[in-house]
Amino acid sequence: MKFGPLDIGFQCNIFPVLLKGALMTLELTLLAIFFGTVIGLFIALAKISRVRILEFIGGIYTWVVRGIPLLVQLFLLYYGLAQVGIELSSFTAAVMGLSICGGAYIAEIFRAGIQSIDRGQKEAALSLGMSSGQAFRRVILPQAYRRLLPPMGNEFITLMKDSSLVSVISMTDLMRTGQLLNSSHFKPMEIYLPVAIIYLILTTIFIYLLGNIEKRLAIYDGD
Amino acid sequence: MIEAQNITKSFGDFQVLKKVNLFVKQGEVVVIIGPSGSGKSTFLRCLNYLEPIDDGSITVNGQTVGKRKLTSGQLVEVHKKNIYRLRSQIGMVFQQFNLFPHKTALENVMEGPITVSRISESEARERAEVLLDKVGLVDKAGTYPVHLSGGQKQRVAIARALAMQPRAMLFDEPTSALDPELVDGVLAVIKELALEGMTMVVVSHEMSFAREVADRVIFMDEGCIIEESTPQKIFSEPDHPRTTEFLSKIL
Repeated sequence: MKFGPLDIGFQCNIFPVLLKGALMTLELTLLAIFFGTVIGLFIALAKISRVRILEFIGGIYTWVVRGIPLLVQLFLLYYGLAQVGIELSSFTAAVMGLSICGGAYIAEIFRAGIQSIDRGQKEAALSLGMSSGQAFRRVILPQAYRRLLPPMGNEFITLMKDSSLVSVISMTDLMRTGQLLNSSHFKPMEIYLPVAIIYLILTTIFIYLLGNIEKRLAIYDGD
Repeated sequence: MIEAQNITKSFGDFQVLKKVNLFVKQGEVVVIIGPSGSGKSTFLRCLNYLEPIDDGSITVNGQTVGKRKLTSGQLVEVHKKNIYRLRSQIGMVFQQFNLFPHKTALENVMEGPITVSRISESEARERAEVLLDKVGLVDKAGTYPVHLSGGQKQRVAIARALAMQPRAMLFDEPTSALDPELVDGVLAVIKELALEGMTMVVVSHEMSFAREVADRVIFMDEGCIIEESTPQKIFSEPDHPRTTEFLSKIL
């Protein structure tokens, strides 16, 4: 079956294979978001801790990770470490690479969000007798969430798109599934067009879900 | 009840407080007046240790806040838990209200008792409703701060501080950020507290309020207490020329 120059029948045949790749992409992205957020929170707390050594470590982390392309980081994790005897599976290396990278950006988002909360909020909490930790958990963080969400959503979408880079360390995600199909069938338009559309659908679902959460958190903003 | 002795405090090279002394008796209402930059707000914030002091001592109900002097003369920080407990016993109301925007009026008032005093939610709710009623805002219980006027916010903030059942209240220019027509409602609440015998230290620019409510008025300038006296005396025949000058500008 042909539609203009495109072989639709072929596309229907490869669709289940691409879908499998898409599931892997989704799995990688969700794991990277989870671990990246955990790393990001700790790095952000380190950076605002006013403990010099922690601030230093946090600073080094974001400096190094943000300054090196993710592609290079993935090569180092997968091929580089293997050469010195630390052999990671491509899945582990992919999740690590994406989480470490995402963590650095997420840390900056957390830090900016936390520091954007008015000083008076912490003072009001302290004046009631709360400890700094209680003030952070009960007063600062819940307000920061709201402001974090839009930049966080951007970062999550970036992570999903960047996850296509793991195809270079033989991780069969959506991108690599497409590449493999193309090397045996050589029909780039028939293959990469659905790949692109699946990415677009995945990111659109993300944007939609995040938008919903934002709306629910917006009740106290009065708009 | 509150004893502050020789409070000294600098921001960098600038000495904000120069050996300030203040003794507040149980049930007394002290109003601190003075030009901006005189250190009055900083002094108030030192009383519950929101600003750490460089030297001196603060004792509330016989307990030392912030720093205490060892016999060697060295100042050491008092254990954090003591500071937390003392803060919970002194209510503070801020110029900018500082209500928690992510909580309703009622939740704002419940927050301290639940998180700090660890009383049950239903008990906290009951207490909060009584207090919102006291400040005339029981109908705004479910409203988020963004939908409240400045005066309403400040009255919720007072209720929030009272929810901790404090032994004393500190007010840091509670009406300075308010539109003129909203000032009276807030002052009425503070006056009522004074009548009930609450120990209070109020930094204020409202001279008629000071005249009416204060047991004692303190005039501060350039980090020192220049003069303290009854409101009758300070407003009609102040001793110090700087007090006269300040009052002539403001009245």
